[in-house]
Amino acid sequence: MKRGTRLVMVMSAMLLVLAAASLATGRGGHLLSGPTDEAEARLLRLILWELRLPRLVLALLVGAALGLSGAVLQGLTRNPLAEPGLLGVSSGAALGAVIAIYTGLGFLWSLSIPLLGLAGAFGATALTLTLGGGGGVLVLILAGAAVSGLMLAGTALALNLAPNPYAAYEITQWMMGSLADRSWHEVLLAAPFVLAGSALLLSTGRGLDALSLGELQATSLGVDLARLRRRVLLGTALAVGAATAVTGAIGFIGLLAPHLVRARVGHQPGRVLWPAALCGALLLLAADLATRVVPLQPELKLGVLTALVGTPFFLWLVWRMKRVAP
Amino acid sequence: MSLRTLSAAMLLAAIPAVCMAAEPPRRIVSLNLCVDQLLLQLVPNGRIASLTWLSRTEGDPQLLPLAFAVPVNHGGAEEVLAAHPDLVIAGRFTTGTTRRLLQSAGVPLLEIEPASDWEGIRRTTRQIAEAVHASARGEELIAAMDADLARLHSRQDRAPVRVIGWGGSGDDVPGRDTVFNTILEAAGAINLGARDKGPSSFDIEQVLLSHPQVLMRGATYASSPALRNRIAEHPALRAQGYRTLTYPEAVYGCAVPRAASLAVQLAKELDGLRGGSP
Repeated sequence: MKRGTRLVMVMSAMLLVLAAASLATGRGGHLLSGPTDEAEARLLRLILWELRLPRLVLALLVGAALGLSGAVLQGLTRNPLAEPGLLGVSSGAALGAVIAIYTGLGFLWSLSIPLLGLAGAFGATALTLTLGGGGGVLVLILAGAAVSGLMLAGTALALNLAPNPYAAYEITQWMMGSLADRSWHEVLLAAPFVLAGSALLLSTGRGLDALSLGELQATSLGVDLARLRRRVLLGTALAVGAATAVTGAIGFIGLLAPHLVRARVGHQPGRVLWPAALCGALLLLAADLATRVVPLQPELKLGVLTALVGTPFFLWLVWRMKRVAP
Repeated sequence: MSLRTLSAAMLLAAIPAVCMAAEPPRRIVSLNLCVDQLLLQLVPNGRIASLTWLSRTEGDPQLLPLAFAVPVNHGGAEEVLAAHPDLVIAGRFTTGTTRRLLQSAGVPLLEIEPASDWEGIRRTTRQIAEAVHASARGEELIAAMDADLARLHSRQDRAPVRVIGWGGSGDDVPGRDTVFNTILEAAGAINLGARDKGPSSFDIEQVLLSHPQVLMRGATYASSPALRNRIAEHPALRAQGYRTLTYPEAVYGCAVPRAASLAVQLAKELDGLRGGSP
């Protein structure tokens, strides 16, 4: 536990440093060297308060939600490869959001974007867990791939039929995931769902600990497995669904975060949850900062960066599993 | 370029010239939105077999009534052949399939090089006008354009307005070497996106820091939903209260003589905004 506490403290300190750096960094960064007159000062306040701060808050919320849901899904499925992206949750959420945006529903009633995102995530998670639950590591990943494929096909269909051809371009951009140009509106839209989902996921610690001993043992310890699964399902759908609906698809944070902290806090699933959430927030914040620092025109998309960094890690995990497996 | 490819290129360029020498084409097909605009002004509707489907939604608002009287195509090779064209005019990037198919059917294909300045507009207008046997009409359009330009030139003493063409999604801001930039300069505006050559990318922060006086928002498929319509509602932009003009985005990308009258119209609108500013 001591090592875990130290880890949490170190990560919190890093989070503070990165948060400060995130507020100080933008494509118009030079303004921070000091405003010259009143108008410039007003502009600086506007940029900090309406652009960089909501971006920072969203990075923390979404990163934590992804890290946490990755840890919980890995605990529930007892599968080190489980992650919202790989299980089809993110693509389900993206499908829901795309439908809301391109039918125009999202303009009439902005809550419909996170709500449909949530519904998509819920449907996808339920489908993956039903298809692949209890079938071993491989079956679950295959089920996730199948559900992901289905959701992506649905997204492609929605685009195909979108009344605005410009939508096809826009949505491919959007699917790359980004926190650029978000406002408090998006934060307020996503935060209630993300927080409620995260609370639900954090409450599964004891059940996941018991489950790590095996299903029979967990039941004999008094854990209601069906209820635990429902909670994970609902929590993931709420947290990842709402997060994806405002940021687009961001992969691999949910895979990386739990693995990075597990080495320090041990393999008990319940103990991984908080540190994984913190680590997820840290990773996403660092990645978002990197997209603004890397001098590319146009800006490197967040989801592209996490995929570039995350995929080699995924490959390494697969390679290691192959070596360990008989 | 080797001598062989050069002569092949010259031969290709010569094909339409050879074909049009005989009879004026009566079933012209356009595969490019900007060619659509020019054809509607050059020849009577009866000589146009089809225009692109975009001409009915994205075309010049003034030419819409004319565009609706002409059949449309979606650019498919089979569809083009079925129209039995005697001349096909396309932009630079015609697909290989369409080109081969047209060649084997013996239909002349005229491919227009992209242009972004007034000289380029004169050149392409003459090229197309000649191909459709409407050179006199082509010269009329060019003369009208030059008259508009002369009028605009005479009022160049006014203070330029700082404008950014910001559609809302941030990564399609027209830069230098675009028709948009040419129109803006003629209208007495400074295009803030001109720091880059082609389309450039501005996020909201950069829009704020480039201190625009006017945001020009491109209208594409304005009535149907897209994310870009949302981003422009960002509180940081609303707080600045920029004056906003909407412009037909596709038409502002067309190297046609009408660009000069768009510039005249824009200059008037900017005058209006200037008059209202403190």
